Amino acid sequence: MSSHDVMPDMGLYQPVTVEDAAGIARQFSTRGWLVGGGQDTYGWLKDRAKRPEVLIDLKGIESMRGIRETADGIEIGALVTLTELTTNSLITGRYSLLAEAAGRVASPQIRNVGTIAGNVAQDVRCWYYRRGLNCYRAGGNLCYADTPEGMNREHALFNASRCVAVTASDTGPALVALEAQMVIHNGSSERVVSAENFFVGPNIDITHTTVLRPGEILTAVRIPAKWANAEFYFEKVADRNVWDFALVSISAAMRVNNGVIEESRLVAGAVEATPRRLDRIEQAIRGKARNQQTADEVAALAIQGARPLNFNHFKMPLLENLVNRAVRGHA
Amino acid sequence: MEIIRYRRDVWGEEVILGVSWDLLWVVAVTALILLAAHAIFMAVLAKKKAKPSSEGPRIKRHDAIDRAFHWIMAGSVLVLILTGIAPIVGLRISWLNIHWIAGLVLTFVVIFHIIRAIFWQDFKAMLLGPSDFKEPFDEKIKPGKYSFEQKGMHWAMTVLVIAVIATGIILFLHINTPWWNRPAVENEATLGIFFLLHGTATLGLIAFTAIHIYFAVRPEKIFYTRSMVTGWISEAEMKENHDTNKWKPE
Repeated sequence: MSSHDVMPDMGLYQPVTVEDAAGIARQFSTRGWLVGGGQDTYGWLKDRAKRPEVLIDLKGIESMRGIRETADGIEIGALVTLTELTTNSLITGRYSLLAEAAGRVASPQIRNVGTIAGNVAQDVRCWYYRRGLNCYRAGGNLCYADTPEGMNREHALFNASRCVAVTASDTGPALVALEAQMVIHNGSSERVVSAENFFVGPNIDITHTTVLRPGEILTAVRIPAKWANAEFYFEKVADRNVWDFALVSISAAMRVNNGVIEESRLVAGAVEATPRRLDRIEQAIRGKARNQQTADEVAALAIQGARPLNFNHFKMPLLENLVNRAVRGHA
Repeated sequence: MEIIRYRRDVWGEEVILGVSWDLLWVVAVTALILLAAHAIFMAVLAKKKAKPSSEGPRIKRHDAIDRAFHWIMAGSVLVLILTGIAPIVGLRISWLNIHWIAGLVLTFVVIFHIIRAIFWQDFKAMLLGPSDFKEPFDEKIKPGKYSFEQKGMHWAMTVLVIAVIATGIILFLHINTPWWNRPAVENEATLGIFFLLHGTATLGLIAFTAIHIYFAVRPEKIFYTRSMVTGWISEAEMKENHDTNKWKPE
């Protein structure tokens, strides 16, 4: 499949309210495509791998912009760019984990236009799926990546149910670690889903990566005060330092008192189709000193249950080492 | 509305992907309309017969082991249908593992049933002969242990269940399980044909399951359902519905 220089012919809607946008999205259902920053969208469309009839451009909706302080934390509008996340004082001051994660997404140019909603709702990265092949995730009957010759070094270690692609989001694991809430609007009502439950794996829905249904729009992300100014650790390992997706990433939030870990949330990225909460490690380090010894004791728990593919065994020691660093608190 | 779904394979050739799930709605609506029409016909137009008493001497109709088989099979078929259509109707559950485990249960109980039916049961009682086809058209003809409708349902379900099991096992071999990793697919077109057959048999199974459940709860047939729970029917029910020359219970 070759990439095209021009966009395909399609309709364009530019609503200015969430209600109108949701109404249009409902009207066109799977034939419509929501676009914010467009960084995941335009590749699909130019490659003709996805062919929506209409684009619903959300950028004119003012209520989906801005970062606000709330009674219990902050609310981030879905159209807030990744650059804004890295520079906003509320984020950098209280939730530096998210600022760090956003700052490691792709490149400065992409961060300037890419939004937080787009980063969490983006589709998975898989050579075969992105090329437009009719694999499981595209509604087909097989996976091209999980074959003896398949290019699968970027793919999943855990919970691969037929599709072995992983989440490409850097901010997703950070939001799960911060116990964020995702605000979803369908035009007439609103529902709030925890970030942990926002992402869905292929065992639940093989053709989608989030709980968003046709006609629903992610309008905001709320981060509770619970983890404000906690001790954070973020690290992303990729083949390149700029403009690349994670091979493995780790996001950690911890409450530490006199050197002892009272509570923690550790979440790995790029090891399965959703951010992977490392709850066994969270339990194992509770009440223990935050030091190298504790890190050495628990790091191996991170890879229990891993089912590597032909070319991604390296992700296992990588994940183990990142967990080790996150627990001890330094690289 | 499409009947079969097609896709381009990795070489750009058009191959079968499977049955069109538009047909699921066709099957559901058709079954609903036909069963509703039957219910209305029976309520309004059909001759009302006095229901034979369930009191009095009891006649053994099903052994405990056969009743257990029936309900395990029924449970596994319902689980298979529900988990199979869940992703089609947009129900978000982790369905695949439940689906293949239920499939294995069904496979084992069907193998058990085939062996038992051939060697330990009166296999001939379930065979459909030319004389059985007169039964629906002549009220005077009463069946042996099983009526024409029951035999027809049994053999329709037999064909459909064996079809879903056979195609299901082939598809099962193409996914990761605790015992093996999925193999590379040599031929997408062949795999697509198995998906088509599995889906088509499933649609048939859904239709016949709906019919079976409907008749199982109909007032004039519910004593059969009771017998599938308790094992017996009354002597009066037997005499009213069966020819005692053709069926001589133990």
